[in-house]
Amino acid sequence: MSAAADTTPPVAARRRRRTARGRRVIPNLVAIVFCAVWIFPVYWMVNTAFKPRSEILTATPIFFPQHPSIDNFIVAITQTGFLTDLRNSLIVVTGTVLLSIVLGFFAAAALSRFRFRGRRAVLVAILAVQMLPGTALLIPTFLMFNSLNLLGTFAGLVLAYVAAVLPFSIWVMRGFFVAIPAEIEEAARIDGAGTWAVLLRIWFPLVGPGVIATSIFAFIAAWNDYLVAYTFMKDQAMYTLPVWLASFTTPTTGTDFGGQMAGSVLFSLPVIVFFLLIQRNLVTGLSAGAVKG
Amino acid sequence: MTVVDPAARARAAGQDAPARRPGPPAVDQQAGGSAGPRHPDASKRPRSKRPAGPEHPTARRRDRAPLWLLSPAGLVMTVVTAAPIVLLVGISFTDFDQRSLFTGAFSFVGLEQYATVFADPDFWLALARTVVFTAVMVAGSVLVGMGVAHLMTLLRPGMRYLVTVVLICAWAMPNVASSLVWNWLFQPGYGVVNWLLTQVRVFGDLTDVAWSQHPVLAATSIWALIVWQAVPFIALTLYAAQVQIPTEYYEAARLDGASEWRVYRSITLVFLRPTLGLITILSIIWDYNVFNQIWLVSQGGPDQATTTLGIFTYKTAFVGFELGAGSAISVVTTLILLVLTAVYIRSLVRSGEDL
Repeated sequence: MSAAADTTPPVAARRRRRTARGRRVIPNLVAIVFCAVWIFPVYWMVNTAFKPRSEILTATPIFFPQHPSIDNFIVAITQTGFLTDLRNSLIVVTGTVLLSIVLGFFAAAALSRFRFRGRRAVLVAILAVQMLPGTALLIPTFLMFNSLNLLGTFAGLVLAYVAAVLPFSIWVMRGFFVAIPAEIEEAARIDGAGTWAVLLRIWFPLVGPGVIATSIFAFIAAWNDYLVAYTFMKDQAMYTLPVWLASFTTPTTGTDFGGQMAGSVLFSLPVIVFFLLIQRNLVTGLSAGAVKG
Repeated sequence: MTVVDPAARARAAGQDAPARRPGPPAVDQQAGGSAGPRHPDASKRPRSKRPAGPEHPTARRRDRAPLWLLSPAGLVMTVVTAAPIVLLVGISFTDFDQRSLFTGAFSFVGLEQYATVFADPDFWLALARTVVFTAVMVAGSVLVGMGVAHLMTLLRPGMRYLVTVVLICAWAMPNVASSLVWNWLFQPGYGVVNWLLTQVRVFGDLTDVAWSQHPVLAATSIWALIVWQAVPFIALTLYAAQVQIPTEYYEAARLDGASEWRVYRSITLVFLRPTLGLITILSIIWDYNVFNQIWLVSQGGPDQATTTLGIFTYKTAFVGFELGAGSAISVVTTLILLVLTAVYIRSLVRSGEDL
């Protein structure tokens, strides 16, 4: 440190060094504090999930389970219809993902590879529709489904989710379509490819990342939705996981926080793991995808 | 097969993302423009990149192809989006209620529902709450997000990776789960937040404070929940945009002896402005629509204190089953939102989005 003072402009050198060091220490400290605060709720969920009942309701919180157990998970899985509702969720998610890919892909192709009257209007409508408040569409959809006997059915739920996801799917896939040079398609057509062949063998693979982004988005939207499922599904055997999780509290026994946190872990884990796995590819694929809700 | 133009791809990946809370932005370069052009000049980018111009062969030959390609999606959107919107407006002119659900009987009452809504002080209070809530939520999440984005540029890769992982965990957590975790964190008697605040010894013994039972505290804990969830998207998007700023500008400014604050204000903020604008508008739209978190944490209580327009609509329509009145509130809510959406679409177009 003192050596630096001997060489050329001492003050400047010292200042430069100090700022260089300061630039590392302070941001690192801030970053650590930030990480601690931001991860804490996630940690607290996991921590509680592994605690035995006696360690959950304590005046002084226990920051690490003394006697970790998976009893809470067993309770959540076995005693509360978790498996039925997991199955329901999977049915609804699969339906939503498949439909939104197929419908979105076709529509995106139409809106990007062709010019036709009203195209711009359709695009603006798609953007605008996405912003509609969920609670607003809920009322008329509820009434419509009520008279069509779609309330409380998986088909109704899937339809509602597809409607919510479709604008985004079209928008994302359109972005990939726009990037495909016309020459590829021309070459294929010269070789005798029909519209279907161009669609499935040329465009579909090239829009691949968009298809993946769409599936992820659709998956998350259908997996996470609470409002629509809560309003439409009154039969407990038809609940999806978010409704199952939110109704975990039983008024008679009070809230079983251990079970609830274990349920939350089970419900969140797939999404968190998934996000972490694709973290590096977020750009090409999901970059647009996750849900806030 | 690198036929995909990277610029268009980044556009597709990032900026085309008006969905709920769009996606993980971008921990690497391409997503640079996550929510806007990476460069203020991007809007002047030549438009020749559009491959599907009017000269496109398919445009001339198969005019009917777009029709059948578009019709399946169009059908679904008509049935599940367009029809409900029309229906919503229609119901808002009726006295549809719980009885009508069973008997199917209802009558047109003209603008009566609107008159009732506008005469209802609860509606105006909910509207005012929504505006204030939205403002503080957006302010909180955008400011913290900007701070974290800037912080990330100052960190070494290892530390930055840690921050990214933490952000992604918070982001990925489904909001039903995080709302329940919030209830647990803020639980009276056993909640860790009360315990921590008591340990600080500034506010006295807070062990038994029931956050959800106190108007301001309930709102505060919901605010914290929303900010906690919103920061990851904002921080990662802004970070991605910030690393796209050419370093020469910084070098030049530092050579001229500019202070760090001055550099941030005159270079970083100027470059981030388009991205920041889009993020802010999206956040306003999202926060205006927040439902789950409020519903699951406080159900709009205590005594209406956290009843925003969304909650107010839901209670009217699905708890009181006054679907006519609920529809009228929804129409008003949607009209307000339409203004915000118009601003959003305009800034998307301005930022170089081809429509």
